[in-house]
Amino acid sequence: MTKTRIAIASALAAALVLPVAAQAQGNTEKCYGIVKAGKNDCQTATSSCAGTSKKDAQADAWISVPKGACEKIVGGKLAAK
Amino acid sequence: MPFALPDLQAAFAAHLAGEERGELIAAVIGDSIPAAARLRVYRHHVQHSLASALAATFPTVQALVGDDFFRALARAFVVRTLPCQPVLAEYGAGFADFVADHEPARTLPYLADVARLDWALNTAFHAAPAPALTPAMLAAVEAERLPSLGLRLSDGVLLVRSEFPIDRIWAASQPGASLEQVDISSGGADLLVMRRPDDAAFVPLAAGEAAFVASLDAGNPLADSAEAGLRADPSFDLSTGFARLLALGVFAAPQQ
Amino acid sequence: MGKVAGIGLRSPHLAEIGRDRPATAFLEIHAENYLAGSPALQAVERLRADYAFSVHAVGLSLGSAEGLDAAHLARVAALVKRLEPAYVSDHLSWSVSGGRYFNDLLPLPYTEEALDVVVRNVVQLQDALGRQVSIENPSCYLGFAHSTLSEPEFLDALVRRSGCGLLLDVNNIVVTAHNLRLDPRAWLSGLPAAAITQYHLAGHAVNDSDGEPILIDDHGSRVGDGVWTLFEDVVRCYGVRPTLVEWDTDIPALPVLLEEAARADQVVQGVGRDAVRAA
Repeated sequence: MTKTRIAIASALAAALVLPVAAQAQGNTEKCYGIVKAGKNDCQTATSSCAGTSKKDAQADAWISVPKGACEKIVGGKLAAK
Repeated sequence: MPFALPDLQAAFAAHLAGEERGELIAAVIGDSIPAAARLRVYRHHVQHSLASALAATFPTVQALVGDDFFRALARAFVVRTLPCQPVLAEYGAGFADFVADHEPARTLPYLADVARLDWALNTAFHAAPAPALTPAMLAAVEAERLPSLGLRLSDGVLLVRSEFPIDRIWAASQPGASLEQVDISSGGADLLVMRRPDDAAFVPLAAGEAAFVASLDAGNPLADSAEAGLRADPSFDLSTGFARLLALGVFAAPQQ
Repeated sequence: MGKVAGIGLRSPHLAEIGRDRPATAFLEIHAENYLAGSPALQAVERLRADYAFSVHAVGLSLGSAEGLDAAHLARVAALVKRLEPAYVSDHLSWSVSGGRYFNDLLPLPYTEEALDVVVRNVVQLQDALGRQVSIENPSCYLGFAHSTLSEPEFLDALVRRSGCGLLLDVNNIVVTAHNLRLDPRAWLSGLPAAAITQYHLAGHAVNDSDGEPILIDDHGSRVGDGVWTLFEDVVRCYGVRPTLVEWDTDIPALPVLLEEAARADQVVQGVGRDAVRAA
């Protein structure tokens, strides 16, 4: 066994008995909760573009501009709108 | 011979994806509501409901770009990539790559990585719970054998690495988030996404931890992975990092 | 008389139902939402001791000419085995063609050819589950010129040839009858009464199609008056069955859904009192 390997072995073994601070285990925020369950349904859509409308279901991506929380994300090569 | 069912269903499928199929319109009874209008109810529903399913799976992307742009983006994806099975929670595997290549989304270079984070959270949430590797299980292994051991991440545990601060972008996109700006050139993020008992969550990893996990995930043993961690960050503390990962319960217990 | 009306269990209500355990005849879930191992499945399993369940599939695509998706069928069978629900059902429709899933209950031409396909698929499903399933009449927005059977004739033949049950969705009868210019009461006459296992109720929307109203089955409001009236006729004609109130769009607070279920129970009790009085 090389020296590095011995050092690695003992560091790994030490990890097994090391107490871990609670904050190191991660946040307690609900990132993706149970309310997200359930995407399959058996109803029919009735949005303004649904039904028999001749208008397509959604507008073309090219004529729609991102408009949301992205306004808070700045810097980099972000092109001016 | 009237319209045989396999042909009718193939023509209907093409109609749903946006094609005009005259033979299908001819097979439908029209009156004061014409056949074509009746058929559109189904096309609109398919495209709208699949876009809604993507919105539920990629809520952070939707919050960033807003409903109109998201629907346009989702619809472009839907008509190219329809689901290949009925469970909608498993639909959207290719969405992040699609976002990365989608010209209208180019102004938001971080968007594809945010989509990867949303997909990882969705995948983790829907992973079946399985026993995690505990320090006690490893304590049964002789110390000198530990370095050659390989460890597998549990199903649903995913490392999402980005050159953008996607954890802070994620936080800024949550309902009720502060108006504080996030500078996309303020450093990348390595996030470990995992299933918890009642939800899915992510934790940021330090550079050394991330390289260590990525190496283990690629199938390398602990020794090589420890060295990968040190290469990425000379101050990587193997004991602390490994203890933290074990405490997070991200490694799969050996199968019986 | 005890409750006959149950409600659709939707994720926004999962925590509340788990905590408060409101009284209802049964809870219905969509199979496809519980095939992955999310915490929602465990939450449902914790409710099993207190509630009867209905597993309502929306994606088996029983009308697909290309046959059933074996992998999906196996997952549904595993869920049914795990939850041991009181009822299992899916629709008289198709959703898959060329291996692509369209997330809609698409209409079938009512022909002998389509009947053979649906019978074969329903028999395969029942064999895989080892139990009877019930098939629901869909909401239709169109009819095919080459259909040779009416929808009730098709369902009757399906019941006789496959041994399946019949799930009568009263809202879908109203929607289809309006959109395809049929008489809902004529639609109802002559169904195989013994095969009827369950009723569904839901709200629908009235959309405008260039000046013509078209009814859309959006499950997004209270049950409409016309549906309540027809439901009363259905109960009078075919008797009491477990009855589900569905609500999937703009899902209301749980008490509103429970109110709708209570109204369904009142309709059933009213029909029962009338019958006693007439005797």
